[in-house]
Amino acid sequence: MIVYRRVKVWSVLLRLYHWAFALSIITLFLTGYYIHNPFALGPWEGTPTNFLMAKIRFVHFVAGYVFMAALLTRLYLLFFGNKFERFTDFIIFRPRNLVRLFHTVRAYLYLGEHESHGGHNPLAGTVYLCVLVLSIFMALSGLFMLYPEGGLWASWGVALFGTQQIARLFHYLLFWVYLIFVMIHVYLVVWNDIFGSEGIISSIFSGRKFLKA
Amino acid sequence: MSRLFANGLMKLRRRDFLKAATIATAAMGLPASMVDKVAAAIKSPARPPVIWLHFMECTGCTESLLRTSHPDVATLILDLISLEYHETLMAAAGHQAEENLKRAVEKYRGKFICVVEGGISTKDGGVYCKIGGRTALEILKHVSADASAVVAVGTCAAFGGIQAAAPNPTGAVGVRDIVKDKPIINIPGCPPNGYNILATIAYILTFNKFPELDELNRPKFAYGRRIHDHCERRPHFDEGRFVEQFGDEGHKKGYCLYKVGCKGPVTYANCPTQRFCDVGVWPVAAGHGCIGCTEPNFWDNMIPFYEHVPGVEVPAGQGIVGKAERIGKFAIGAAAAGIAIHAAAGVIKKATTKEKEE
Ligand code: HEM
Ligand code: HEM
Ligand code: SF4
Ligand code: SF4
Repeated sequence: MIVYRRVKVWSVLLRLYHWAFALSIITLFLTGYYIHNPFALGPWEGTPTNFLMAKIRFVHFVAGYVFMAALLTRLYLLFFGNKFERFTDFIIFRPRNLVRLFHTVRAYLYLGEHESHGGHNPLAGTVYLCVLVLSIFMALSGLFMLYPEGGLWASWGVALFGTQQIARLFHYLLFWVYLIFVMIHVYLVVWNDIFGSEGIISSIFSGRKFLKA
Repeated sequence: MSRLFANGLMKLRRRDFLKAATIATAAMGLPASMVDKVAAAIKSPARPPVIWLHFMECTGCTESLLRTSHPDVATLILDLISLEYHETLMAAAGHQAEENLKRAVEKYRGKFICVVEGGISTKDGGVYCKIGGRTALEILKHVSADASAVVAVGTCAAFGGIQAAAPNPTGAVGVRDIVKDKPIINIPGCPPNGYNILATIAYILTFNKFPELDELNRPKFAYGRRIHDHCERRPHFDEGRFVEQFGDEGHKKGYCLYKVGCKGPVTYANCPTQRFCDVGVWPVAAGHGCIGCTEPNFWDNMIPFYEHVPGVEVPAGQGIVGKAERIGKFAIGAAAAGIAIHAAAGVIKKATTKEKEE
């Protein structure tokens, strides 16, 4: 008989961040893809005006701001969150985490048992860190396109991307990267829920994981 | 200038002169009350001497200036500056021309404006562009050292232009990569609008200083806003009405050209308001998308011209151009296949190992 403790790992702020991030990204996917390829023919002349593209862009920008708020929250938590939320818990530049990384990969290859622990496994943690870095680029390229005329974002944008077109290409390529991340992420979360014992899916709602006592 | 057109063939009538001065004033974003001041400055006898250099280019910028349907703009520009050296226009040739250049540089040391048209080759010491035995690189360094300012006219001079497009066999660059110690104004475009050249020079003459410039040294009055934000087809964009294909119903009705590759959303220029050819037309008005000719490296970045995000080379530099979307879909497919295989292995594992009771 194994005994489990219910341990609090994710703060309210982290959970709020996760769902603001996830829902905003899903909105950004849908609206962004429409902006990229406005497949539905807008109303032809004569029908009442509805500003389809303008509205969809508006939703994209609102979701973009939610996304950036969530991003800033997570960047804050990387340094000032609880011990599972800080970047030091899962970066691979620690002997402890290298061992955990090895165990994680072994488990994913079905060569070893799943090891339960509180925070992220180092593989997931590293990917999440990369996603945060990409998110900064996503936000910068988005802001450059959104505020093209002079001012802070234009200077930053030109310094970083050179031209709007490169920013747009970047933004668009990253769209696919996010899509792939979300697919694999959701799959692995479900996988961990099946093969692990922490109750990982409910942890992102309740903030609690089940750890071996 | 008067030496070049001594026969007075291109003398301007006063009405035309005022008209052009008014358009230039409007282009600078100045109120009508400034027209007199601009006109006076343009006519002032203390005009700065200009040395106009040609390097790797098609001379299209000069040509397009000279070929306007009314000669106003060209005449004005060429008139309002006292042109000391312009390879396309001057009568001198060969050694005589070289001699003129040398003399002009010496005579107006520190005072003249150096206008550059064309990119500069830098590879192998710049041997791919030579004039009178000297490389473009040498000439530019030499002439710009004594200039008061450098004006790069056209995308080639500003950013390298078509000869700088990948794989850039001659190592072509724009003026800004060579001249570091002089103020530079870029007036890019392929070709740039004549009024933007005129207005820039008129601005310097009127106010004795540079107009406000953006991050890429372009005058903000001309390059401060995106095409897309001033386009007459913009209502169709916002409404979601697009040309799907050239010649289709939407094209006939004048819908937005976004889906056929218009680069208006990423290009800074005043084409929609300034327009071309003295007949109030510009490419988008004529039914063709903007190709982004005022932006750095547009021959590389803005292609394919008929898609709004560029293709990506896979593998890099191998020349196999795939669309970003195709790559994205391929990667998604690969990820999905990976997930499916991994999940199948998991199912097999679950089925074959006995679950421990916990
Ligand atoms: C994961 C997050 C995001 C995704 C997946 C996403 C996706 C996209 C896509 C696919 C496009 C169309 C690109 C094209 O032209 O082909 C786009 C355009 C754009 N996005 Fe995002 N985006 C995200 C975040 C943001 C953020 C944070 C902002 C900033 C507020 C932003 C602002 C913009 C702007 C301004 C455009 C250009 C729209 C236009 O002018 O027509 N995006 N986005
Ligand atoms: C139904 C959908 C989703 C579920 C059930 C889910 C669940 C989870 C869980 C359980 C974790 C914690 C993993 C751990 O303990 O190591 C997590 C983390 C994370 N999820 Fe999701 N997720 C979902 C959708 C998304 C989406 C759409 C995104 C968007 C990109 C996303 C981005 C992230 C990120 C970045 C983290 C890391 C959190 C951190 O920075 O600490 N998730 N998710
Ligand atoms: S035609 Fe080009 S510049 Fe005009 S609204 Fe459409 S995309 Fe923008
Ligand atoms: S519309 Fe675009 S491509 Fe055409 S001249 Fe203007 S900036 Fe250049």
